[in-house]
Amino acid sequence: MTPQSSLQIIEPASSQRGGLGLASAAGEPEPAGAPLTLRGLTKRWRKDLPLVLDELDLTLSPGTTTWVGGRNGVGKTTMLRVAAGLIEADSGRAEVWGIAASENRARYQRLVSFLPAGDRGLYARLTVRRQLEFWARIAMVPRERFRETVQDAIETFELGDLAERRVDRMSMGQRQRLRIAMTFLTSPEIVLLDEPLTSLDEEAGALLDTAVKEVLARDGAILWCSPSGEHLNMKFDASWTIERGKLVAA
Amino acid sequence: MNETLTACHAFLAVMRRDLHIYLSYRTRLVSQLMTSVFSLTLFYYVSRLVHVQGFATPNAYFGFVVVGIALLGVMYSCFSIPELVRQELLVGTFDRLLLSPFGAIRSVLAMTLFPMLFSFMLATLTLGLGCVIFGLRLHWSTAFLAIPVMFLALLAFLPFGVLFAALTVVVKQGSVGTSWVIALLAIIGGLYFPISLLPHWVQTASQLQPFTPATNVLRHFLVNTPLTSPVATALLKLMGFAAVLLPLSLFTLARAIRFGQRRGTIIEY
Repeated sequence: MTPQSSLQIIEPASSQRGGLGLASAAGEPEPAGAPLTLRGLTKRWRKDLPLVLDELDLTLSPGTTTWVGGRNGVGKTTMLRVAAGLIEADSGRAEVWGIAASENRARYQRLVSFLPAGDRGLYARLTVRRQLEFWARIAMVPRERFRETVQDAIETFELGDLAERRVDRMSMGQRQRLRIAMTFLTSPEIVLLDEPLTSLDEEAGALLDTAVKEVLARDGAILWCSPSGEHLNMKFDASWTIERGKLVAA
Repeated sequence: MNETLTACHAFLAVMRRDLHIYLSYRTRLVSQLMTSVFSLTLFYYVSRLVHVQGFATPNAYFGFVVVGIALLGVMYSCFSIPELVRQELLVGTFDRLLLSPFGAIRSVLAMTLFPMLFSFMLATLTLGLGCVIFGLRLHWSTAFLAIPVMFLALLAFLPFGVLFAALTVVVKQGSVGTSWVIALLAIIGGLYFPISLLPHWVQTASQLQPFTPATNVLRHFLVNTPLTSPVATALLKLMGFAAVLLPLSLFTLARAIRFGQRRGTIIEY
């Protein structure tokens, strides 16, 4: 059976997809399918190493959260990277609302947002506000929504006091809060989170919880990867672990 | 139209980011200006010490070399792209650029804006310092023509930087090769001395890269150095280098990124 995050019938929401209404250019067909479908993903890093992903299947339904766990090095991050469009699988296909990254990369990237594990991906010498402004521009947020988008992120993740502080002068937890704010900055449809609770305190965890609920409220989907036990207070619609490259019910 | 405007804003955002990062290192501008002053001082006294064949006066040689130094800075800015890409790979921001709607290729191109404009400003300051401190005489009636030539030279040098950026994406090192390429181009392109002093086969090789036509025309416009070939020929060469090599280098960069994504090495640094 193909792992699905819930049993509900998958229908794309009629609203325009792509966070901030950015995705559908004039004349572009409305996407169909599930928020995220991973079909037959296979990945091997080297010929002499075992498969990291072995025909892995996963479908996320609208408005659901899915947790994928497993031991260190089992392939959780690889799966997320393929889903994000960062790396390619040897075979198989990742689709967001029926679109593969190879078919329409810009649209795919507007729909998906990925929070990698660790504390990388920040410009140390930029302030929080400049960092958010920069990534909003790179995310091609339209001019008329730009200020509002950045301000919303600052308020949602309670970064007001840190807005003018440089990243290299912030604690690990504060940096993680900023990285999460960057992940949710453009109101993405599908959010891929790799160990998001790293260095976060309880208050910041609650902010993340709120942001997740907002994604679900607009029929988006969350794929959350972490080693077992990291997500103590989170409730997921589906839970899986990766074993020998495949998903098994947790 | 909106998409184009938004992309322009993204290009400018990259430039603004680089400006903010540059300004966050407060002594950097002073140190770069001091480097220019030291280079000018060195060659001012070299021009007084050594009689260089083909130059009637020490001032003629000094003007020749100052324009070369100014252009070298511009060339350096193009060759800084691989190091900038490497920095992005190291701090994990290249992943984010790659996963953005703006994309990695446009991001790499946008990364060139600040260093190029800054090098342009530094080149102007170098010439200005040469005039004010060392009495360099600019040929004011044609000096303004140097601006479009400098931009054309930038476009001709840019593909080399992009090609090395592609190399950096694949092998995670690129700046190692750039230093010897710059040194080689400086020698065969006649940065410090006229290429007529070089062996014949090197003179032939010097025509196969954009530094030589760029320096020839700029020297002619800025300090009235006699031309070795017509201006139009030199400009056509520069346009040719840009028109042929720029698309080729961008294609190579796109292939390098795709290669990294397929192999999974794009995440390595």
